[in-house]
Amino acid sequence: MSSAENGAEPLPERTFAMVVGALGGEGGGVLTSWIVAAAESLGYPVQSTSIPGVAQRTGATTYYIEFYPAHRERLEGRSPTMALYATPGNMDVVVTSELMEAGRALELGWVTPDRTTLISSSHRVYSIFEKSAMGDGRVEVGDLVKTANHLAKRPILIDMDRLAAANGAQINAVILGVMAGSGELPIPAEAFEQAIEKTGVAVAANLRGFKAGLDHVRGDAPMPEAEKPAERPAPRNVEALLARVDESFPPETRQMLSDGVRRAVDYQNLAYGARYLDNAAKILAADKASGGADRGFRLTVEGGRYLALWMTFEDIIRVAQLKSRPERMARVRREVGAKDGEPVVVTEFLKPGYDEIASVLPPMLGRALTRWKEQRPGRQKFHIAMRVKTNTVFGYARLRALARLRFWRPWSYRYAEEWSEIETWLAALEGAAAQSYELALEIAELPNLRKGYSDTHRRGVANYREVFERLARPAAAGGDAAAAAAALNAARTAALADPEGDALRTVLVAPPGEAAESRAQAAE
Amino acid sequence: MERSFAKEVELLRRGDGEHFEGEGILAITKALLQSGVSYVGGYQGAPVSHLMDVLTSDSKGLMAELGVHTEVCANEAAAAAMLAASINYPIRGAVTWKSTVGTNVAADALSNVASAGVVGGALIILGEDYGEGASIIQERTHAFAMKSSAWLMDPRPHHPRMVDLIEKGFELSEASHAPVMVEFRIRACHVTGRFATRDNRPGQFSTNDKLEKPVFDLGRIALPPATYVQEKKKVEERFPAAIDFIREHGLNEVFPGKHDDVGIICLGGLYNSVIRGLQQIGLADVFGNSDIPILCLNVTYPLVDDEIAAFCATKRSVLIVEEGFPEYHEQAINALLRKADLNTEIVGKGVFPKAGEYQAEVMLRGLAGFVEGSVPKGADLGPVSAAVAAIDRTREKAAEMLGGPVPKRPPGFCTGCPERPVFSAIKLVQREEDIGEVHISADIGCHTFAALPPFGLGNTVTGYGLGLASSAGVAPHFNGRTISIMGDGGFWHNGLSSGISGAAYNDHDSVLVIMANGYSSATGQQHLPSTTAGGNVPNDTVMPIERAIKGLGVKWVRKQYTYRVGKMKRLLHEALTTPEKGLKVIIAEAECQIAKQRRLRPLMRKALDAGKRVVRTRFGVDEETCTGDHSCIRLSGCPSLTVKSNPDPLRKDPVAHVNNGCVGCGLCGEVADAAVLCPSFYKADIIQNPSGADLFLEKWRGAVIGRLGGYANGAAKGNGAAA
Repeated sequence: MSSAENGAEPLPERTFAMVVGALGGEGGGVLTSWIVAAAESLGYPVQSTSIPGVAQRTGATTYYIEFYPAHRERLEGRSPTMALYATPGNMDVVVTSELMEAGRALELGWVTPDRTTLISSSHRVYSIFEKSAMGDGRVEVGDLVKTANHLAKRPILIDMDRLAAANGAQINAVILGVMAGSGELPIPAEAFEQAIEKTGVAVAANLRGFKAGLDHVRGDAPMPEAEKPAERPAPRNVEALLARVDESFPPETRQMLSDGVRRAVDYQNLAYGARYLDNAAKILAADKASGGADRGFRLTVEGGRYLALWMTFEDIIRVAQLKSRPERMARVRREVGAKDGEPVVVTEFLKPGYDEIASVLPPMLGRALTRWKEQRPGRQKFHIAMRVKTNTVFGYARLRALARLRFWRPWSYRYAEEWSEIETWLAALEGAAAQSYELALEIAELPNLRKGYSDTHRRGVANYREVFERLARPAAAGGDAAAAAAALNAARTAALADPEGDALRTVLVAPPGEAAESRAQAAE
Repeated sequence: MERSFAKEVELLRRGDGEHFEGEGILAITKALLQSGVSYVGGYQGAPVSHLMDVLTSDSKGLMAELGVHTEVCANEAAAAAMLAASINYPIRGAVTWKSTVGTNVAADALSNVASAGVVGGALIILGEDYGEGASIIQERTHAFAMKSSAWLMDPRPHHPRMVDLIEKGFELSEASHAPVMVEFRIRACHVTGRFATRDNRPGQFSTNDKLEKPVFDLGRIALPPATYVQEKKKVEERFPAAIDFIREHGLNEVFPGKHDDVGIICLGGLYNSVIRGLQQIGLADVFGNSDIPILCLNVTYPLVDDEIAAFCATKRSVLIVEEGFPEYHEQAINALLRKADLNTEIVGKGVFPKAGEYQAEVMLRGLAGFVEGSVPKGADLGPVSAAVAAIDRTREKAAEMLGGPVPKRPPGFCTGCPERPVFSAIKLVQREEDIGEVHISADIGCHTFAALPPFGLGNTVTGYGLGLASSAGVAPHFNGRTISIMGDGGFWHNGLSSGISGAAYNDHDSVLVIMANGYSSATGQQHLPSTTAGGNVPNDTVMPIERAIKGLGVKWVRKQYTYRVGKMKRLLHEALTTPEKGLKVIIAEAECQIAKQRRLRPLMRKALDAGKRVVRTRFGVDEETCTGDHSCIRLSGCPSLTVKSNPDPLRKDPVAHVNNGCVGCGLCGEVADAAVLCPSFYKADIIQNPSGADLFLEKWRGAVIGRLGGYANGAAKGNGAAA
């Protein structure tokens, strides 16, 4: 190996290799050019290359940078040979702009305990697979963080997205700051700063981002507070009901039931809240009878959750109520980043059809309209497209008027329908609890299939009814409870596996023994 | 193009005594100017788009000074045909495209130019889109060189060497009267580096220094018997001349090493990866000095037999490093050694995989396999097995701790992309009972991504501009009509002739959707004949697609603004069901959002700074009404439409959420409306620098709404005056 002949300091034996894994549109290319410019300003031979991938957004893009940390003049005309690929076992710094991309770097063997500093933003940018799941498709990142901490020589996992947002900067500048502040690169922070200035684009914002990253990683600046979800307004006079929760329900269930009772009161009135607790008490009784005390009263917690959600079904009255709430406008303004003094005009996209109209009619009329609608498939397609401007006087008045229909709700068709099903579900839940705790829990979670609006809601309800009638109701009446619980679980997973219901049909026709297998397939 | 290349052009102007610092593809561009090139043509495509973008951006400046004619060709065949200028005249020219897809298109012209032969240097710069990050089918260019007797260079990715080889390439072409292809892999095109520049020089003839009279030579025409003579010349004159030139000018390089009982022959483009691999197993130093001798083939076709035989003669075992299948070099070298009666063992595929790019780890394992098998005299094998074992250990540990593969992140349409709504509409129209699932003949372009989640639309892809042509065989075999997709890029590339004229002539009864976003977007938003650039292209120079189609006699042609999903769905339904026979064309129009934002953002900023009233539109999801079923995401796939933890303590599933990337295209609202999804989406028009009238209206509304139910108006609250 070569060593220096002319200088006091021997020449480095190897180059410094780093890779940047970013997502399209995050400015990975600019970040790379800053690093290259900084290395160049020190006279280091430097090379970078990239796989920008397809120019389109959201795909992963990688940039590879290599430099030789010695001034060109010391090399006597020689030049180091540098690679064009990130090489496992040969990386000094691995940078990823998002946590799952750090997982990818780990998987590829780029991060090794002998030399790699892993710098990654700890926030998540969800992939399309995670986003489009019908339930919660987000990947669990606990193992990923553990792996990063185990395999990196020095792991630096920071929410750089939050730092960027708090400082009005792009994430690439924050990453550069963290990189500089880590002290792991043989390049001083000033060189990076000059690189930003020399580029001459959005210099102020980039320097702000750079400084935010630099200061935070050096321990000079704390992480800005995460934006907290706005407090929900507590309905008036709910204290007595909350006191009843504390008196009559075990501690494990109180949080859930308090949230549930607040929701029910907000939705209808105090009597509705009391009705919620009456039903929750029934669940608790069944829970206690089947040994729930040893299981943290999970049946009451989950049953209480779905009872509250079901009781507060989203009819047009509820939607109008939520959309015309005094607090909503502030939330919208915050979300869209409107500054003080900037008027915001909000337009709602409402599209009620026969179902929505039927839902607020008296049961007899509502049923008749629904039956009439079902006679011809074309009638399903009838909708009134409404674009309501909520900030205009007329627009607001319309929403407010709809919300005021709340008093009428208990006499509506949909209310009657929902309640008849809620009672059936509660009865099945109680019946199941007498046989098996697992079975009862499965039935408690079944209403999660009833989600969405319009077509999505119709499909969800149809799925719920099919699973309930074919599996839950017979199981609640008796039989092999363990097998029934497994079948219910499989059906529930399958119903959420694809919007077309293909997986659910497969599970429902399969003999019980194959249910688990179908479920595995459905989950794929 | 909505981009400026002024900085790049400045680099191209540098001359004697100065240095160039930048990307490989720009270094290559500079090398062309230093070589006295007179014309440059090409068709855009990563990774060589930049070459054309930079040169054509300054056609009236530096190019005019040097007398270089530049042209963005209609397609690669047109670009290859440009080389005809070098057949009869001592004019140096270069053309460029993405390979092998572009070479496939260019093959007709390329064969003819190669057969006729050239007197002026003719260079073809190929972006070899092979391996990670490639956006095309995986093939190598090598076979084109062999079949057409066009030489193929694969320069070592080192700026001074790449630049030098471009200049040598012209000389090689002139010395052997054959066109020369120079391939650069994606990473080599994007690699940054520096070299000492030389002055640009004008060509012998140029647009400033014109030819006097045409040359006629029947021997250069593709007619028998000239074609037979040309074939003979290729073999008997040009091939040997090329070999002599390569040998005499040392285009291939031999790097000696102390373990000279073995050796490595690698293609130039793979040299750096070989050195990195050797460094990792302790057989090379940081300056690339290898312990094992290396013959680096900067010219990969033709091979100089005696050069290779001489390299192998003293060695027991030689490793051939070439990617892809068939292993042309391994076969050729085995054959030439047999003829030279040499017994050197040839190792190649076996320690290396037959298919796929030789990425760092593949290279390392291949080299390790070779060294461990051939055992170079005096070499320490300790670091070799240690390096491989260390990688295995890390990867195993990572896999074990991660507990499963990290989910993939497929690319998709950009935020606000105007093509996405069309696929939302196609998805929705397939839900109609009288339509059902439809066969979709897809095409090449951004719209190919429709095949990926969440759309999953597109049953076949057969090539650029071939969407409609590829439906010819399948459409008659379905009861319902099929849908073909074509971009405006593909339309002008060849879709108009190979697709539409063919379908019109043969009375096809199917539906064609033309994605007219106004640019060749996937390659970097280059302009097309139909580009209007938001009205910035003078009207009389725009060639409207609609008129071109109608000119071919197609009667059913409709234009539709893409973001109107409901209308697009109804139009698709009509096209799929109308009793009218013949081709039904829907021109789905809306400007590429990337180009649009690049143009509008600075204008918006300027207007804002000047205190002008600017309305910014954004969409959002009401977290309280969202029930977390995510149907909206499955019908849109917008990057800015994502999920976040549910703020509602009772709900477990995440809610949909529009992040700050939103450009306010309105698709989510349109989809929610067209698919009757849910009432959670809202549109917010934020009035920046509001006028007095805005503020008055705001104040009045706030007051009345406040009376009605206490709808606190944020703006009014924030702006004390209005409260």
